[in-house]
Amino acid sequence: MSAALRYSLLAITFGLLVCAVAALHLGVAAESEVPHVEFNADNIGPRQIEDLTAKSVPRDYAFAWQTMEQALHENRPGLLDGYFTGTAKQDLGERVASQNKSGIHTRYQDRGHELEAIFYAPAGDAMQLRDRAQFDLQVLDGNKVIYEEPVKAEYIVLMTPGADRWMVRQMQAIGGEK
Amino acid sequence: MMKLGTLLVAMGLAAAAQAAEIRPPARVIAGTSITIPSGGSGDATFYLIGPKLASKKQVQAGSGIAVDSDQLERAGRYVAVLCASDGCSSASFFVVPAAANKLSLLVHPSRVPVGSMNGISTVAFVFDNFRNLVLKPEQVKFSILAKDSKEVSASRGSENGVSWVRISSAKKEGPVRIGAAIGHANEVRVVQQVAADACNLRIKVSRAKTGFLIETDPVRDCSGNSVPDGTVVSFTKSDSTGKTTVDVPIKRGVAKVEIPIQGSARITVASGVVTGNELQVAGGRAQ
Repeated sequence: MSAALRYSLLAITFGLLVCAVAALHLGVAAESEVPHVEFNADNIGPRQIEDLTAKSVPRDYAFAWQTMEQALHENRPGLLDGYFTGTAKQDLGERVASQNKSGIHTRYQDRGHELEAIFYAPAGDAMQLRDRAQFDLQVLDGNKVIYEEPVKAEYIVLMTPGADRWMVRQMQAIGGEK
Repeated sequence: MMKLGTLLVAMGLAAAAQAAEIRPPARVIAGTSITIPSGGSGDATFYLIGPKLASKKQVQAGSGIAVDSDQLERAGRYVAVLCASDGCSSASFFVVPAAANKLSLLVHPSRVPVGSMNGISTVAFVFDNFRNLVLKPEQVKFSILAKDSKEVSASRGSENGVSWVRISSAKKEGPVRIGAAIGHANEVRVVQQVAADACNLRIKVSRAKTGFLIETDPVRDCSGNSVPDGTVVSFTKSDSTGKTTVDVPIKRGVAKVEIPIQGSARITVASGVVTGNELQVAGGRAQ
Protein backbone atom coordinates (compact mmCIF):
# COMPACT_ATOMS: atom_id res chain seq x y z
CA MET A 1 0.00 0.00 0.00
CA SER A 2 1.44 3.34 -0.97
CA ALA A 3 2.05 6.06 1.61
CA ALA A 4 -0.48 8.36 -0.10
CA LEU A 5 -3.21 5.74 0.19
CA ARG A 6 -2.35 5.13 3.84
CA TYR A 7 -2.56 8.86 4.61
CA SER A 8 -5.85 9.13 2.71
CA LEU A 9 -7.35 6.24 4.72
CA LEU A 10 -6.12 7.82 7.96
CA ALA A 11 -7.65 11.18 7.00
CA ILE A 12 -10.98 9.55 6.09
CA THR A 13 -11.05 7.60 9.38
CA PHE A 14 -10.26 10.76 11.33
CA GLY A 15 -13.01 12.65 9.46
CA LEU A 16 -15.55 9.93 10.21
CA LEU A 17 -14.55 9.99 13.88
CA VAL A 18 -15.01 13.77 14.05
CA CYS A 19 -18.46 13.45 12.38
CA ALA A 20 -19.51 10.70 14.81
CA VAL A 21 -18.47 12.77 17.82
CA ALA A 22 -20.28 15.83 16.42
CA ALA A 23 -23.43 13.80 15.73
CA LEU A 24 -23.35 12.35 19.25
CA HIS A 25 -22.89 15.81 20.72
CA LEU A 26 -25.76 17.25 18.66
CA GLY A 27 -27.99 14.38 19.75
CA VAL A 28 -27.31 15.08 23.42
CA ALA A 29 -27.88 18.81 22.86
CA ALA A 30 -31.21 18.15 21.12
CA GLU A 31 -32.34 15.93 23.96
CA SER A 32 -31.80 18.63 26.56
CA GLU A 33 -33.25 21.42 24.42
CA VAL A 34 -35.93 23.67 25.94
CA PRO A 35 -39.25 22.79 24.28
CA HIS A 36 -40.95 25.34 22.05
CA VAL A 37 -43.97 26.93 23.75
CA GLU A 38 -46.40 29.13 21.87
CA PHE A 39 -48.27 31.24 24.42
CA ASN A 40 -51.70 32.82 24.05
CA ALA A 41 -53.32 34.91 26.80
CA ASP A 42 -56.05 36.56 24.69
CA ASN A 43 -58.90 34.92 26.62
CA ILE A 44 -57.48 35.19 30.11
CA GLY A 45 -59.58 36.52 32.98
CA PRO A 46 -60.69 37.86 35.37
CA ARG A 47 -57.28 39.46 35.97
CA GLN A 48 -55.32 40.87 33.06
CA ILE A 49 -51.89 39.38 32.61
CA GLU A 50 -48.89 41.63 33.33
CA ASP A 51 -46.18 41.97 30.65
CA LEU A 52 -43.56 40.32 32.82
CA THR A 53 -45.89 37.43 33.73
CA ALA A 54 -46.72 36.91 30.04
CA LYS A 55 -43.02 36.30 29.46
CA SER A 56 -42.20 34.27 32.55
CA VAL A 57 -45.13 31.81 32.41
CA PRO A 58 -44.28 30.25 28.99
CA ARG A 59 -40.56 30.35 29.78
CA ASP A 60 -41.00 28.57 33.12
CA TYR A 61 -43.50 26.11 31.64
CA ALA A 62 -40.97 25.19 28.95
CA PHE A 63 -38.29 24.68 31.61
CA ALA A 64 -40.75 22.54 33.58
CA TRP A 65 -41.23 20.23 30.59
CA GLN A 66 -37.52 20.11 29.91
CA THR A 67 -36.73 19.08 33.49
CA MET A 68 -39.63 16.62 33.58
CA GLU A 69 -38.47 14.93 30.38
CA GLN A 70 -34.94 14.71 31.75
CA ALA A 71 -36.12 13.43 35.14
CA LEU A 72 -38.22 10.67 33.53
CA HIS A 73 -35.43 9.72 31.15
CA GLU A 74 -32.64 9.62 33.70
CA ASN A 75 -34.84 8.67 36.68
CA ARG A 76 -33.57 11.62 38.70
CA PRO A 77 -36.33 13.00 40.96
CA GLY A 78 -34.14 15.90 42.12
CA LEU A 79 -34.56 17.54 38.71
CA LEU A 80 -38.24 18.13 39.51
CA ASP A 81 -37.45 20.53 42.36
CA GLY A 82 -36.86 23.51 40.10
CA TYR A 83 -40.22 23.95 38.37
CA PHE A 84 -42.71 21.63 40.06
CA THR A 85 -44.53 21.91 43.36
CA GLY A 86 -47.54 20.40 45.14
CA THR A 87 -49.41 17.52 43.50
CA ALA A 88 -47.44 17.71 40.24
CA LYS A 89 -44.11 17.31 42.00
CA GLN A 90 -45.42 14.54 44.23
CA ASP A 91 -46.90 12.60 41.29
CA LEU A 92 -43.82 12.88 39.11
CA GLY A 93 -41.61 11.97 42.05
CA GLU A 94 -43.66 8.80 42.57
CA ARG A 95 -43.49 8.07 38.85
CA VAL A 96 -39.69 8.33 38.85
CA ALA A 97 -39.47 6.17 41.97
CA SER A 98 -41.63 3.44 40.42
CA GLN A 99 -39.71 3.67 37.13
CA ASN A 100 -36.51 3.15 39.11
CA LYS A 101 -38.04 0.17 40.89
CA SER A 102 -39.24 -1.44 37.66
CA GLY A 103 -36.13 -0.66 35.62
CA ILE A 104 -38.18 1.49 33.25
CA HIS A 105 -37.38 4.88 31.80
CA THR A 106 -39.25 7.18 29.48
CA ARG A 107 -37.89 9.16 26.58
CA TYR A 108 -39.65 12.21 25.13
CA GLN A 109 -38.97 13.88 21.83
CA ASP A 110 -40.80 17.14 22.34
CA ARG A 111 -42.61 18.57 19.28
CA GLY A 112 -43.88 21.74 20.95
CA HIS A 113 -46.73 23.16 23.01
CA GLU A 114 -49.65 25.49 22.35
CA LEU A 115 -50.20 27.01 25.77
CA GLU A 116 -53.35 29.02 26.39
CA ALA A 117 -53.96 30.91 29.63
CA ILE A 118 -57.62 30.53 30.61
CA PHE A 119 -57.87 31.76 34.20
CA TYR A 120 -55.82 34.21 36.23
CA ALA A 121 -56.98 34.60 39.83
CA PRO A 122 -57.97 38.17 40.86
CA ALA A 123 -55.19 38.23 43.47
CA GLY A 124 -52.61 36.98 40.93
CA ASP A 125 -51.79 33.91 42.99
CA ALA A 126 -52.81 31.16 40.53
CA MET A 127 -53.09 30.69 36.79
CA GLN A 128 -54.86 27.94 34.89
CA LEU A 129 -53.70 27.02 31.41
CA ARG A 130 -54.53 24.58 28.63
CA ASP A 131 -51.62 22.95 26.80
CA ARG A 132 -51.94 21.17 23.49
CA ALA A 133 -48.72 19.21 23.43
CA GLN A 134 -47.14 17.03 20.78
CA PHE A 135 -44.31 14.63 21.46
CA ASP A 136 -42.92 11.24 20.55
CA LEU A 137 -42.99 8.93 23.52
CA GLN A 138 -40.77 5.93 24.08
CA VAL A 139 -40.91 3.65 27.12
CA LEU A 140 -37.90 1.43 27.70
CA ASP A 141 -37.40 -1.52 30.01
CA GLY A 142 -33.65 -1.41 30.39
CA ASN A 143 -32.51 -0.90 26.81
CA LYS A 144 -35.52 -2.58 25.22
CA VAL A 145 -38.16 -0.32 23.71
CA ILE A 146 -41.52 -1.68 24.88
CA TYR A 147 -43.68 1.22 23.68
CA GLU A 148 -43.22 3.90 21.07
CA GLU A 149 -45.82 6.32 19.80
CA PRO A 150 -46.33 9.89 18.59
CA VAL A 151 -48.74 11.55 21.01
CA LYS A 152 -51.02 14.58 20.80
CA ALA A 153 -52.22 15.31 24.30
CA GLU A 154 -54.15 18.05 26.01
CA TYR A 155 -53.35 19.09 29.57
CA ILE A 156 -55.03 21.33 32.11
CA VAL A 157 -52.27 22.98 34.05
CA LEU A 158 -52.27 24.95 37.27
CA MET A 159 -49.31 27.22 37.92
CA THR A 160 -48.58 29.31 41.01
CA PRO A 161 -45.90 31.93 41.54
CA GLY A 162 -42.81 31.02 43.53
CA ALA A 163 -40.03 33.30 44.74
CA ASP A 164 -38.59 34.02 41.30
CA ARG A 165 -40.55 31.86 38.87
CA TRP A 166 -43.89 30.24 38.10
CA MET A 167 -44.16 26.62 39.23
CA VAL A 168 -46.35 23.82 37.86
CA ARG A 169 -48.66 22.73 40.69
CA GLN A 170 -51.00 20.43 38.77
CA MET A 171 -50.79 18.92 35.30
CA GLN A 172 -53.66 16.69 34.22
CA ALA A 173 -54.02 15.09 30.80
CA ILE A 174 -57.64 15.50 29.70
CA GLY A 175 -57.76 13.94 26.26
CA GLY A 176 -55.69 13.11 23.27
CA GLU A 177 -55.35 11.17 20.11
CA LYS A 178 -52.56 9.59 18.19
CA MET B 1 -44.46 -17.57 -4.87
CA MET B 2 -43.39 -14.14 -3.64
CA LYS B 3 -47.03 -13.16 -2.99
CA LEU B 4 -47.60 -16.36 -1.01
CA GLY B 5 -44.53 -15.63 1.11
CA THR B 6 -45.70 -12.09 1.78
CA LEU B 7 -49.13 -13.40 2.72
CA LEU B 8 -47.64 -15.94 5.12
CA VAL B 9 -45.48 -13.26 6.75
CA ALA B 10 -48.52 -10.97 7.06
CA MET B 11 -50.56 -13.80 8.58
CA GLY B 12 -47.71 -14.54 10.97
CA LEU B 13 -47.53 -10.88 12.02
CA ALA B 14 -51.28 -10.76 12.46
CA ALA B 15 -51.16 -13.87 14.64
CA ALA B 16 -48.34 -12.39 16.66
CA ALA B 17 -50.27 -9.13 17.05
CA GLN B 18 -53.32 -11.07 18.14
CA ALA B 19 -51.23 -13.06 20.59
CA ALA B 20 -50.07 -9.95 22.44
CA GLU B 21 -53.31 -8.04 22.16
CA ILE B 22 -54.51 -6.00 25.12
CA ARG B 23 -57.88 -4.25 25.38
CA PRO B 24 -58.25 -1.79 28.27
CA PRO B 25 -61.46 0.25 28.54
CA ALA B 26 -61.19 3.64 26.82
CA ARG B 27 -62.27 5.51 29.93
CA VAL B 28 -61.99 4.63 33.61
CA ILE B 29 -63.28 6.62 36.60
CA ALA B 30 -60.49 7.47 39.03
CA GLY B 31 -60.13 5.10 41.95
CA THR B 32 -61.92 2.12 40.39
CA SER B 33 -60.29 -1.23 39.75
CA ILE B 34 -60.43 -2.80 36.30
CA THR B 35 -59.63 -6.07 34.59
CA ILE B 36 -57.94 -5.75 31.23
CA PRO B 37 -58.67 -8.62 28.81
CA SER B 38 -55.65 -9.92 26.91
CA GLY B 39 -55.10 -12.30 24.02
CA GLY B 40 -52.53 -15.01 23.41
CA SER B 41 -51.11 -17.51 25.85
CA GLY B 42 -48.05 -18.17 27.98
CA ASP B 43 -45.94 -16.04 30.28
CA ALA B 44 -45.98 -12.31 29.62
CA THR B 45 -44.95 -9.05 31.23
CA PHE B 46 -47.55 -6.38 31.85
CA TYR B 47 -46.56 -2.73 32.19
CA LEU B 48 -48.80 0.12 33.31
CA ILE B 49 -47.50 3.66 32.84
CA GLY B 50 -49.53 6.51 34.31
CA PRO B 51 -49.11 10.02 35.69
CA LYS B 52 -47.69 8.76 38.97
CA LEU B 53 -46.70 5.16 38.35
CA ALA B 54 -44.74 2.85 36.08
CA SER B 55 -45.42 -0.70 37.22
CA LYS B 56 -44.30 -4.04 35.84
CA LYS B 57 -45.59 -7.50 36.69
CA GLN B 58 -45.62 -11.05 35.33
CA VAL B 59 -48.98 -12.24 34.01
CA GLN B 60 -50.49 -15.03 31.95
CA ALA B 61 -51.36 -13.83 28.46
CA GLY B 62 -54.92 -14.70 27.48
CA SER B 63 -56.33 -14.06 30.92
CA GLY B 64 -57.77 -10.89 32.44
CA ILE B 65 -55.15 -8.63 33.98
CA ALA B 66 -56.33 -7.09 37.24
CA VAL B 67 -55.38 -3.47 37.95
CA ASP B 68 -56.06 -2.29 41.51
CA SER B 69 -58.02 0.87 42.21
CA ASP B 70 -55.05 2.54 43.93
CA GLN B 71 -53.11 2.31 40.68
CA LEU B 72 -55.79 4.31 38.91
CA GLU B 73 -56.32 7.20 41.30
CA ARG B 74 -54.72 9.94 39.27
CA ALA B 75 -56.64 11.28 36.27
CA GLY B 76 -54.77 11.36 32.99
CA ARG B 77 -53.38 9.27 30.20
CA TYR B 78 -52.28 5.70 30.91
CA VAL B 79 -50.43 3.25 28.68
CA ALA B 80 -50.87 -0.49 29.13
CA VAL B 81 -48.22 -2.70 27.50
CA LEU B 82 -48.17 -6.49 27.29
CA CYS B 83 -44.93 -8.14 26.23
CA ALA B 84 -44.87 -11.85 25.44
CA SER B 85 -42.25 -13.98 23.71
CA ASP B 86 -43.64 -12.88 20.34
CA GLY B 87 -43.40 -9.14 21.00
CA CYS B 88 -45.21 -6.31 22.73
CA SER B 89 -48.60 -4.74 22.16
CA SER B 90 -49.95 -1.64 23.79
CA ALA B 91 -53.05 0.48 24.24
CA SER B 92 -53.65 3.81 25.89
CA PHE B 93 -56.67 4.87 27.93
CA PHE B 94 -57.81 7.76 30.08
CA VAL B 95 -58.66 7.89 33.76
CA VAL B 96 -61.21 10.64 34.40
CA PRO B 97 -61.91 12.39 37.73
CA ALA B 98 -64.46 10.91 40.15
CA ALA B 99 -67.26 12.97 41.74
CA ALA B 100 -66.37 16.39 43.17
CA ASN B 101 -65.77 16.11 46.88
CA LYS B 102 -62.86 18.34 47.83
CA LEU B 103 -62.04 22.02 47.55
CA SER B 104 -58.94 24.11 47.63
CA LEU B 105 -59.85 27.63 48.67
CA LEU B 106 -57.67 30.68 48.09
CA VAL B 107 -58.81 33.86 49.86
CA HIS B 108 -56.82 37.10 49.62
CA PRO B 109 -55.94 39.32 51.37
CA SER B 110 -56.01 38.14 54.99
CA ARG B 111 -56.54 41.74 56.21
CA VAL B 112 -58.70 44.17 54.29
CA PRO B 113 -59.83 47.74 55.01
CA VAL B 114 -63.55 48.16 55.69
CA GLY B 115 -65.71 49.36 52.81
CA SER B 116 -63.35 47.98 50.20
CA MET B 117 -65.37 47.28 47.04
CA ASN B 118 -64.57 43.79 45.66
CA GLY B 119 -61.57 43.84 47.98
CA ILE B 120 -61.60 40.13 48.84
CA SER B 121 -60.72 37.61 46.12
CA THR B 122 -62.10 34.11 46.68
CA VAL B 123 -61.13 31.27 44.34
CA ALA B 124 -62.21 27.64 44.81
CA PHE B 125 -60.60 24.75 42.91
CA VAL B 126 -62.85 21.69 42.71
CA PHE B 127 -61.27 18.26 43.22
CA ASP B 128 -62.39 14.68 43.63
CA ASN B 129 -61.26 12.51 46.53
CA PHE B 130 -57.97 11.79 44.76
CA ARG B 131 -56.99 15.44 44.17
CA ASN B 132 -57.93 15.35 40.48
CA LEU B 133 -59.30 18.62 39.16
CA VAL B 134 -62.98 18.05 38.30
CA LEU B 135 -63.46 19.77 34.97
CA LYS B 136 -67.18 19.31 34.41
CA PRO B 137 -69.30 22.21 35.72
CA GLU B 138 -70.25 21.96 39.41
CA GLN B 139 -72.06 24.35 41.76
CA VAL B 140 -69.89 25.74 44.54
CA LYS B 141 -71.70 27.40 47.44
CA PHE B 142 -69.87 30.45 48.78
CA SER B 143 -70.89 31.85 52.16
CA ILE B 144 -69.99 34.93 54.17
CA LEU B 145 -70.48 35.17 57.90
CA ALA B 146 -69.51 38.40 59.63
CA LYS B 147 -69.59 38.95 63.41
CA ASP B 148 -73.10 39.63 64.77
CA SER B 149 -74.80 39.17 61.41
CA LYS B 150 -76.60 36.49 59.42
CA GLU B 151 -74.83 34.25 56.93
CA VAL B 152 -75.11 35.28 53.30
CA SER B 153 -74.55 32.65 50.63
CA ALA B 154 -74.59 32.29 46.85
CA SER B 155 -73.78 29.49 44.43
CA ARG B 156 -71.46 29.88 41.48
CA GLY B 157 -70.82 27.34 38.72
CA SER B 158 -67.30 26.11 38.18
CA GLU B 159 -65.57 26.27 34.83
CA ASN B 160 -62.62 23.94 34.16
CA GLY B 161 -62.60 23.14 37.88
CA VAL B 162 -62.46 26.76 39.05
CA SER B 163 -65.14 28.88 40.68
CA TRP B 164 -64.54 32.37 42.04
CA VAL B 165 -66.18 35.43 43.54
CA ARG B 166 -65.12 38.89 44.59
CA ILE B 167 -66.48 40.07 47.92
CA SER B 168 -66.69 43.61 49.27
CA SER B 169 -65.71 44.15 52.90
CA ALA B 170 -68.28 45.39 55.41
CA LYS B 171 -68.47 48.88 56.96
CA LYS B 172 -67.68 47.53 60.41
CA GLU B 173 -64.32 46.15 61.42
CA GLY B 174 -63.89 42.59 62.72
CA PRO B 175 -63.36 39.08 61.40
CA VAL B 176 -65.44 37.67 58.55
CA ARG B 177 -65.65 33.94 57.80
CA ILE B 178 -65.62 33.10 54.09
CA GLY B 179 -66.59 29.56 53.18
CA ALA B 180 -66.96 27.41 50.08
CA ALA B 181 -68.76 24.07 50.01
CA ILE B 182 -69.25 21.20 47.59
CA GLY B 183 -70.17 17.58 48.31
CA HIS B 184 -68.76 16.78 51.75
CA ALA B 185 -66.14 19.50 51.53
CA ASN B 186 -66.55 22.77 53.39
CA GLU B 187 -63.52 25.03 53.50
CA VAL B 188 -63.46 28.20 55.60
CA ARG B 189 -61.01 31.10 55.75
CA VAL B 190 -61.10 34.09 58.08
CA VAL B 191 -60.37 37.59 56.84
CA GLN B 192 -59.78 40.42 59.29
CA GLN B 193 -61.60 43.59 58.30
CA VAL B 194 -59.65 46.54 59.66
CA ALA B 195 -60.36 50.27 59.80
CA ALA B 196 -59.72 52.13 56.59
CA ASP B 197 -57.68 55.34 56.37
CA ALA B 198 -58.21 58.00 59.01
CA CYS B 199 -61.03 60.43 58.42
CA ASN B 200 -61.65 63.91 59.92
CA LEU B 201 -58.22 63.93 61.52
CA ARG B 202 -58.17 66.71 64.13
CA ILE B 203 -55.50 68.01 66.50
CA LYS B 204 -55.53 70.21 69.61
CA VAL B 205 -52.69 71.98 71.43
CA SER B 206 -52.03 72.41 75.12
CA ARG B 207 -49.10 73.73 77.10
CA ALA B 208 -46.50 71.29 78.35
CA LYS B 209 -43.43 71.70 80.59
CA THR B 210 -40.91 72.31 77.81
CA GLY B 211 -43.12 73.25 74.88
CA PHE B 212 -46.52 72.39 73.51
CA LEU B 213 -48.38 69.08 73.55
CA ILE B 214 -50.02 68.38 70.18
CA GLU B 215 -52.62 65.63 70.40
CA THR B 216 -55.17 64.16 67.99
CA ASP B 217 -58.76 63.39 68.78
CA PRO B 218 -59.42 59.61 68.75
CA VAL B 219 -58.42 58.62 65.21
CA ARG B 220 -61.23 56.89 63.31
CA ASP B 221 -62.04 56.04 59.72
CA CYS B 222 -65.06 57.47 57.89
CA SER B 223 -67.28 54.63 59.20
CA GLY B 224 -66.34 55.33 62.82
CA ASN B 225 -63.96 52.39 63.27
CA SER B 226 -60.87 53.08 65.37
CA VAL B 227 -57.72 53.21 63.27
CA PRO B 228 -55.42 50.49 64.72
CA ASP B 229 -52.69 51.35 67.19
CA GLY B 230 -49.32 51.56 65.48
CA THR B 231 -50.65 53.49 62.48
CA VAL B 232 -48.29 56.39 61.94
CA VAL B 233 -49.47 60.00 62.24
CA SER B 234 -47.14 62.78 61.07
CA PHE B 235 -47.03 66.15 62.84
CA THR B 236 -45.32 69.01 60.97
CA LYS B 237 -44.18 72.29 62.50
CA SER B 238 -43.44 75.19 60.10
CA ASP B 239 -41.85 78.36 61.45
CA SER B 240 -39.21 80.93 60.49
CA THR B 241 -36.44 78.34 60.97
CA GLY B 242 -38.00 75.89 58.53
CA LYS B 243 -40.07 72.71 58.60
CA THR B 244 -39.83 69.83 61.11
CA THR B 245 -41.83 66.60 60.86
CA VAL B 246 -42.28 64.08 63.66
CA ASP B 247 -43.83 60.61 62.95
CA VAL B 248 -45.74 59.17 65.90
CA PRO B 249 -47.62 55.84 66.10
CA ILE B 250 -51.16 55.85 67.42
CA LYS B 251 -51.37 54.55 71.00
CA ARG B 252 -54.70 53.78 72.63
CA GLY B 253 -56.52 55.46 69.78
CA VAL B 254 -54.67 58.80 69.78
CA ALA B 255 -51.31 60.16 68.64
CA LYS B 256 -49.50 62.87 70.58
CA VAL B 257 -46.16 64.64 70.59
CA GLU B 258 -44.48 67.40 72.58
CA ILE B 259 -42.89 70.07 70.38
CA PRO B 260 -40.84 73.07 71.54
CA ILE B 261 -42.09 76.22 69.80
CA GLN B 262 -40.28 79.60 69.80
CA GLY B 263 -42.39 82.51 68.58
CA SER B 264 -44.98 81.66 65.94
CA ALA B 265 -45.45 78.30 64.18
CA ARG B 266 -47.96 76.45 62.04
CA ILE B 267 -48.80 72.86 63.01
CA THR B 268 -50.30 70.40 60.53
CA VAL B 269 -51.19 66.72 60.84
CA ALA B 270 -51.45 63.85 58.34
CA SER B 271 -51.83 60.07 58.29
CA GLY B 272 -50.99 58.40 55.01
CA VAL B 273 -52.65 60.47 52.29
CA VAL B 274 -55.18 62.01 54.70
CA THR B 275 -54.51 65.48 56.07
CA GLY B 276 -56.19 66.99 59.10
CA ASN B 277 -56.77 70.48 60.43
CA GLU B 278 -53.94 72.96 60.97
CA LEU B 279 -53.24 75.19 63.96
CA GLN B 280 -51.33 78.44 64.30
CA VAL B 281 -49.40 78.75 67.57
CA ALA B 282 -48.11 82.25 68.35
CA GLY B 283 -46.61 83.76 71.52
CA GLY B 284 -47.33 80.63 73.39
CA ARG B 285 -51.00 80.51 72.35
CA ALA B 286 -52.85 78.30 69.94
CA GLN B 287 -55.16 80.03 67.43
